[in-house]
Amino acid sequence: MAAASFPGAVKGLVSAKARLSEPLRGGSRSLLVLYPRRGGMALVASATPLELSEKVAESIKNAEETCAGDAASGECAAAWDEVEELSAAASHARDKLKANSDPLDNYCNDNPETDECRTYED
Amino acid sequence: MASCTIHTAPYSCSISRPAAKAFSLGFHQRHQQLIFFSSGRRSAVVCSAEKTVVIGLAADSGCGKSTFMRRLTSVFGGAAEPPRGGNPDSNTLISDTTTVICLDDYHSLDRTGRKEKGVTALDPRANDFDLMYEQVKAIKDGVAVEKPIYNHVTGLLDPPELIKPPKILVIEGLHPMYDSRVRDLLDFSIYLDISNEVKFAWKIQRDMAERGHSLESIKASIEARKPDFDAYIDPQKQYADAVIEVLPTQLIPDDDEGKVLRVRLIMKEGVKRFAPIYLFDEGSTISWIPCGRKLTCSYPGIKFFYGPETYFSNEVSVVEMDGKFDRLDELIYVESHLSNLSTKFYGEVTQQMLKHSDFPGSNNGTGLFQTIVGLKIRDLYEQIVAERAAASAAAAKV
Repeated sequence: MAAASFPGAVKGLVSAKARLSEPLRGGSRSLLVLYPRRGGMALVASATPLELSEKVAESIKNAEETCAGDAASGECAAAWDEVEELSAAASHARDKLKANSDPLDNYCNDNPETDECRTYED
Repeated sequence: MASCTIHTAPYSCSISRPAAKAFSLGFHQRHQQLIFFSSGRRSAVVCSAEKTVVIGLAADSGCGKSTFMRRLTSVFGGAAEPPRGGNPDSNTLISDTTTVICLDDYHSLDRTGRKEKGVTALDPRANDFDLMYEQVKAIKDGVAVEKPIYNHVTGLLDPPELIKPPKILVIEGLHPMYDSRVRDLLDFSIYLDISNEVKFAWKIQRDMAERGHSLESIKASIEARKPDFDAYIDPQKQYADAVIEVLPTQLIPDDDEGKVLRVRLIMKEGVKRFAPIYLFDEGSTISWIPCGRKLTCSYPGIKFFYGPETYFSNEVSVVEMDGKFDRLDELIYVESHLSNLSTKFYGEVTQQMLKHSDFPGSNNGTGLFQTIVGLKIRDLYEQIVAERAAASAAAAKV
């Protein structure tokens, strides 16, 4: 796997592009991000915007606390539903970041017929 | 011949520009609009000669950005994007022909409200079905509406956005078929049924990278939502014209990764303007393994099944695919043996799948059947348009 640091790193994160295992038809690239964590760096697949990420972690803690009291209550279900909603929002945000991150990809989506964007598959 | 509604609201109805575009897939639209103002009272009458076609999609995966939506809008041509210049957290997607509305926008309780009452978003008490019915009916009749926005990031209800009647309206969310009045407005309905094991595997993939989540929290989240899901969302399956059921594969024993899937396309018989697809001989039962002498597949291969069944006391036809596609020729081989696909040319399904080869499910039945359902909806839409043209021609003669 090749790791490279690109100019314009976002919020102190070093992003590396690598081709994971076998490429899908059409070629797909995944964004691997080195995320600063306690105890060193952790390799995470794509970064969620910080505030959403914190919201998710907070809601999980909140849900665990609420359900510790009464696991069958409506409040417990509502709390975990909130976790699900925020996780979905975080996942969408990650996809949005990924979708907009590569200028070449963006250009080729709009202009697939140009020379830079031609793909050859054997 | 045209249905007109007189609207004397303080704001005037939006007027869509008559578009006479030819779309890449070759179907033409003439959106005829008659606008006249009555003297004295300031009222605008917007009459549309074509009623909007409404499609309902029930899915648990959040709104408008799902793969199914992107495939569907792609079949109709053009990419669907959030409305320009509006709320950046809007859930709506708009393309040339299609507008996709997220039913979460009809939440009557925002996140705090739900927490206080102790209800999940799945509970009907958290949703305003009267408003949903009113607005979908209005759009179907050609009247623009101010639809509320539910902001998934903040959990609040934002100020409304204007939705102009498109040619095709897709309502996507948890409860498109829950309310019987809304159900009657739908020209076609689809239910995406993900089995528990596959849901678990997908949520693990989605959430494990998230700080704070663990296997236990993901499991707890699914378990806690299950009672409401089974009570309110799951029963909608029986009303759907097409159900896409995603199950774990039977080809790999004890597979828990959810990478190879068994996908069943369950199609209701006798639905107007919808001819179910079939394998080889309509109405018979077929078990088919395409891999053999003409086609070589890699492990675990591909297995098809086709047959008539009963689903919630409805007559249905089921086409099932277990396995995954590795190569282009597998896909085209399978396409050439399926019938009633409503494609406009040989290889259209394969072409659509290739166009979005980076979407999840592009190498298995989920992508295949979502694409096929998209083509069926396009066919349904064109039939409606043709019927209207014939009706107006007949009316003109009289």
